[in-house]
Amino acid sequence: MQNTQKKVPVTILTGFLGSGKTTLLNRILSEKHGKRIAVIENEYGEVGIDQGLVIDVEEEIFEMSNGCICCTVRGDLIRVLSNLMKRRDKFDYVLVETTGLADPGPVAQTFFMDDEISLEFKLDGIVTLVDAFHINQQLGRSDESTEQIAFADVIVLNKIDLVNNEELDVLESRLRKMNKMAKIVRSEMAETPINTVLNLGAFNLDEALVRRPTFLEPEYPFEWTGIYSMEPGQSEITLAEGPDPSMSLVVVADQGKEDQALRNSAERCVRLYSEDAKQIQPGELIPQDSHVMLDLSSSGRKSFYLQTENKIQVGLFAQHTAEEFDIQVLTKDKTTIPVETERTWVAQHEHDDEVGSISIEINGDVEEKKLEKWLSKLLAEKGIDIFRMKGFISISGEPNRFIFQGVHMLFDGKPDRPWGNSPRRNQLVFIGRNLDEQDIRQSFEACLI
Amino acid sequence: MALQNNWNASVNDYAISGGWNCDGNSLVVSDASGGIYVFNGKSGEVIWSQKQVHAVGGLSTAMHPFKNKFVTTGQDSRILIWDTYENNIIKEINLGHGWVENVEWSQDGKWLAASCSRTVYIYNETGDEVWRSDDHNSTVSQIAWAANNELATACYGKVTFFDALSGKQTQTLEWKGSLISMVLSPNGDIVACGSQDNSVHFWRRSTGKDSMMSGYPFKPDSLSFDETGTFLATGGNVDVTVWSFQGKGPEGTTPLSLEQHAEPLTSLAFSNRGLNLASGSRDGTVVLWGLRMDNKESDLSETRLTDSVSNLYWHPDDKALAALDGQGVITVWHVT
Repeated sequence: MQNTQKKVPVTILTGFLGSGKTTLLNRILSEKHGKRIAVIENEYGEVGIDQGLVIDVEEEIFEMSNGCICCTVRGDLIRVLSNLMKRRDKFDYVLVETTGLADPGPVAQTFFMDDEISLEFKLDGIVTLVDAFHINQQLGRSDESTEQIAFADVIVLNKIDLVNNEELDVLESRLRKMNKMAKIVRSEMAETPINTVLNLGAFNLDEALVRRPTFLEPEYPFEWTGIYSMEPGQSEITLAEGPDPSMSLVVVADQGKEDQALRNSAERCVRLYSEDAKQIQPGELIPQDSHVMLDLSSSGRKSFYLQTENKIQVGLFAQHTAEEFDIQVLTKDKTTIPVETERTWVAQHEHDDEVGSISIEINGDVEEKKLEKWLSKLLAEKGIDIFRMKGFISISGEPNRFIFQGVHMLFDGKPDRPWGNSPRRNQLVFIGRNLDEQDIRQSFEACLI
Repeated sequence: MALQNNWNASVNDYAISGGWNCDGNSLVVSDASGGIYVFNGKSGEVIWSQKQVHAVGGLSTAMHPFKNKFVTTGQDSRILIWDTYENNIIKEINLGHGWVENVEWSQDGKWLAASCSRTVYIYNETGDEVWRSDDHNSTVSQIAWAANNELATACYGKVTFFDALSGKQTQTLEWKGSLISMVLSPNGDIVACGSQDNSVHFWRRSTGKDSMMSGYPFKPDSLSFDETGTFLATGGNVDVTVWSFQGKGPEGTTPLSLEQHAEPLTSLAFSNRGLNLASGSRDGTVVLWGLRMDNKESDLSETRLTDSVSNLYWHPDDKALAALDGQGVITVWHVT
């Protein structure tokens, strides 16, 4: 019977024309995954799609009940998907490619508002492709590109070969500020592993938080990473006088230069940074893969040393940028070792986008009645401006975490695993337009016991 | 009154549409993988069949009212007019792009209407195009012919009537909502539409008066009028809702609720004559109801298919009923 069949996952692929959607689509379709994929598109791409069933639809947005934005759905999708599910040779996966001008809201809401569609299909995730070269202009010009960033579960920062690293870091910080929930991956020619865009389980409360227990991307305690090639033996790190009398550092041995390798180390360094730092005085050896605090209180340039056994690449994950302390790395005979790759991690607040993320992280329990009141008021007043929300809440008297996610006014929440011995706390993220952070934060805090 | 099993047969995929040939001697079925089948109406033997005629999938079927021919449409953008017993295509029309989702013969058999995306196309009996409409403001979701050769189209927000010969618009009935199903009363005065927002909207063309019946738990995607236009059966629920247009109704009246199904309805069909109503649901249950003029049920008979009922077709003499299901099983009962 239909009800017991596994629901077909659907990924929504958004992004402006030229951002590389068709290239990514073709990569997904040509990969040997043994899946039957149907593609629904409403844009005649500049590049043809290689294979698979492609259905062209004309975008038709309508309100299911008058005047309610969360009830707007895509009629074309309802019709095409209702028909697709009748076939005996079912599809294993559906990709919905939307135009650069499409609002992702109605697409996403279709999978929650229409009972027949929600019976057969589940929204897996929203993937937004970004043309790293053009996005800054697009973000300034159109609401659509901003909303596509805000709705995303994954942002593929594409065409990174056209932009230098520093600009990429600034851009990533800007996107991160708009959407704290999304995973950001970088790619050239839409070359990104398929598993970073498919089967995300982003709208499934059971899956989403299991896969990413802290659904927030970490705020890095370090600002800068530089990678250097070291010969075996001793090397020297020198720092000039800077803004602080000390600096935290983790030296990662054998650091790869690729984006993914950097991110993996960054995540590890977030954990290392939470451990107590070992004080290191000038002239001393810096241990690798552990959190150290360089004492920079004396005047003038100071040197610290690194000992390596093999020829390796070393990553310095530093609390401050190389510029601030004029960090130099030298060989034993005082030759400068050039930095091979560097990147910055911390948000640079130079853009003030009206779309942004608010995250609330707070310990303690909330009172259920107050929470319900707060939430219904918030969604009634701000639902139109809230694009996505996700989080977990500690409700007083409840042994289990309460988890939730939502799109506009559509709210889906339920009890999750027990708190056990872990500290009871709350973590909420809202992504939306012109959200008053202070107001939302304070009104939530008023629900605490 | 009872349903007595007569024959079963199967097609290759989800049986999506079909109908009885006008002579009642054969049943036509189109499936979701594009196959066309003509079964002997008495024995269930295949008279002829062709697989994957409509590439990607078949959609709609319409039987000519009094000639041995029918028309099928598909996702391949084609409209095919077939000779029922000769296994050949009389006429092929290729619209080039889009799904041809609806096709209907006019009641006098002189006109053929088909809709594809936002356009409706009118052909003469041999399939030559007479005119096509301008783009509607959204995809045409349903079409229906009134007795006087007016064609009604439903799309988001309105029902439009066209004169078959000239293509001129004769009336528009507006209502802000996504209309997903439409049926006209036999005299053409009442237009009933099911809407995506779980309501049924109807208009009386003569007075322009319209009403909305809301509160359906699901989309009312199946509707059927009895031959007199007195009763309108609507889906959108597990129970069949029957509205009576007697007197001042149905406004302000309580509809009859026929309770027997366990899952939402998928198909409703009044018999050609009289007040027998067949209903089918997602779980494959088919129920035959005997109604009375006082809008009370008098009799019922229930049976079970293997999968969701896609369509129900009464034999021209009402002595048999055909059901198509989601597994491609065709079941024909004697109605005794």
